[in-house]
Amino acid sequence: MKNPVFLIAKKEIQIALRQKLITALAIVIMGLLSVALYAGYIAYTQQQTVVENAQEKSRKEWLEQGDKHPHIAAHYGTFVFKPKTILSLFDFGLDTFTGTSVYLEAHYQHEFMFRPAQDHSSMIRFGELSASLVLQVLIPLLIIFLAFPAFTEERENGTLKLLVSQGVSYTPIIWGKILAYLSILFAIVFPFFALAIILSTGITTSDSIPDPWLRVLFLILIYALYLLIFVSFSVWVSIQSSTGRNALLTLLTCWILFTIIIPKTTANLGESLYPLPSMKIYREAIQKDIRNGLDGKTPKTTREEQLKKKYLQDYKVDSIHKLPLNFEGIRMQVGEDYGNKVYDIHWKRLIKIFDKQNRISSLSSFITPYLSIRNVSMGLTATDLHTSIHFQKTTEKYRRELIRKMNHDMAQNSRYGEFYEYKASKNLWKTVNGFRYKTMPAYKILLLYRIELLSLCCWAILVFFLLGYSSRKIKPVL
Amino acid sequence: MLEAIDLTKKFGDFIALKSLNLTIKEGEIFCLLGANGAGKSTTINLFLNFIDATHGKAMINNMDVSKHKETKQLLSYIPENLMLYKNLSGLENLRFFCGLGGGNQSKGELEELLEQSGLQIDFIHKRVSSYSKGMRQKVGIALARARGAKVLLLDEPTSGLDPKASNEFSELLLNMKEKGVTTLMATHDLFRAKDTGTHIGIMKEGMLLEKFESKDVSFQDLEKLYLKHMHN
Repeated sequence: MKNPVFLIAKKEIQIALRQKLITALAIVIMGLLSVALYAGYIAYTQQQTVVENAQEKSRKEWLEQGDKHPHIAAHYGTFVFKPKTILSLFDFGLDTFTGTSVYLEAHYQHEFMFRPAQDHSSMIRFGELSASLVLQVLIPLLIIFLAFPAFTEERENGTLKLLVSQGVSYTPIIWGKILAYLSILFAIVFPFFALAIILSTGITTSDSIPDPWLRVLFLILIYALYLLIFVSFSVWVSIQSSTGRNALLTLLTCWILFTIIIPKTTANLGESLYPLPSMKIYREAIQKDIRNGLDGKTPKTTREEQLKKKYLQDYKVDSIHKLPLNFEGIRMQVGEDYGNKVYDIHWKRLIKIFDKQNRISSLSSFITPYLSIRNVSMGLTATDLHTSIHFQKTTEKYRRELIRKMNHDMAQNSRYGEFYEYKASKNLWKTVNGFRYKTMPAYKILLLYRIELLSLCCWAILVFFLLGYSSRKIKPVL
Repeated sequence: MLEAIDLTKKFGDFIALKSLNLTIKEGEIFCLLGANGAGKSTTINLFLNFIDATHGKAMINNMDVSKHKETKQLLSYIPENLMLYKNLSGLENLRFFCGLGGGNQSKGELEELLEQSGLQIDFIHKRVSSYSKGMRQKVGIALARARGAKVLLLDEPTSGLDPKASNEFSELLLNMKEKGVTTLMATHDLFRAKDTGTHIGIMKEGMLLEKFESKDVSFQDLEKLYLKHMHN
């Protein structure tokens, strides 16, 4: 006997292919995916070229800045650029809103500059057309139009009676339909995923993602699970609905709630419950703590005086001129270290607020699977907030190392009071390595999104349970 | 072959079928007559296990239909308005439903069955959306034959058919009877019941009021008997 699941799936595919609306929607979605991926690829190649050229130019400028005092070099500074990752052609994530470059110099942690969103109109707030947007938002719409009549039409037309009278139980009917819809979706998205795999493995030489294969594999798995959840949920709604109209209305309402209303509401809720300080307040708080000390009682002058005393005692001399090293270099580095300590405290506070805001979004994924897939997809394509923060930490580490080397050279090789006379050369500039950025490994990213992954699993279990329960209760006549 | 034992169905307080006791032997065509709401379709739905009995049992080949799924392999069902998948052709529908029932006929065999069931050759490969009701019923008969059904459950199958199509349908039923197929048919059509049925039962308000062999009554007697029960 032929497997009824496959027979039903084949029949559903035959019927779907003969429906003009489904064919038209599938063509539109394939067109949108093609445009989105092509646009993503163009954006990737253009930005990657710009970033590579700019990074190279910046490095050249650093190395060829000429002989000068190390502290002047520390203020001359350098630019570092956030590389665009190959997977970002699939999911633009927050790349449009986070900056692409930062200027590194002594004493200051500058803001990221050149946010692509600055160059767009206000329409960018409604989202760019990316392949991920098509998969996360538009394909569920196709699923709704495919699956809403799954059972209502069979019941309304009377074919369900005929189907059941052949001795087929509801479980193979349900899974046959799910298999059919997934096969249709697979036929639509497979060429694009295949292209993504080819691109992600073909262009890896200068890419900042260390494990593109693994990430693509995870992306395929989580998107397959997301689409399976949506298909199963749609079929379940069709089982529960008395008419096709009711099923369609219910599913469209859920789609609006899942993809528009709940995500926007939770984002607003996060911002209201855990507001971020303005950049002005944040900067002023850091400067105040550096000026007055973290305890508010040890101003900069006092701290410098204490440092001076300590060095005079340690080296048993009565004047900083008699120290075997340039005290100015020591003072600069200690001041830098204190500034870093203050910055780290304020930065951690800021990250804590981000984490709280994100926690609301993560927990809301239990209400809508869209938030799960959106967050995990951004994470795996390295276009999320965590990757952005990781990049900022990496640039800050690089800045500190650069400044430390300048101050160390100044302390070791120049004398106190000697500023314009001492000049370091290219040999010092070369000790600072060129900036290279590698994202976190995929497993670390997945750990950061464990709530979203758990919620996807919970959604899958829930819809399978509902389908199993309904398959025992369903009757061909109401 | 078919047996109802104290078969009862309630929908809330409404009794759709009340303690039906009925035995239909192999090769018999039992016609259930009655007005709308008499319990004819409920009886068919209970034998199909589409609905659960409140009390009693519906048996096919000595097996309780609610406990033995395999009873479905023995039967074929044709409702008043047999609905097939309109985007598939008659042949594609037949092949699909036969496959579900475990049939493994070739395309040629299925085409032949459709032809033998009276479907015009031109329509075999056309989409069902272009079929008349009579043509769909013929696909139903072809399905019953393809599956080698031992039991036919028919819910007003000739309702709305023109006299020629009705007559063709009756001939097909008699043809299947000769092959030992047992039929339970709910109908409003007294003439068809007398003409096709071996046995007739009259139902009213969920009860089987009378049952007899069709050869024992003339069409006029049947009509009088039916009207008498309907007016009481």
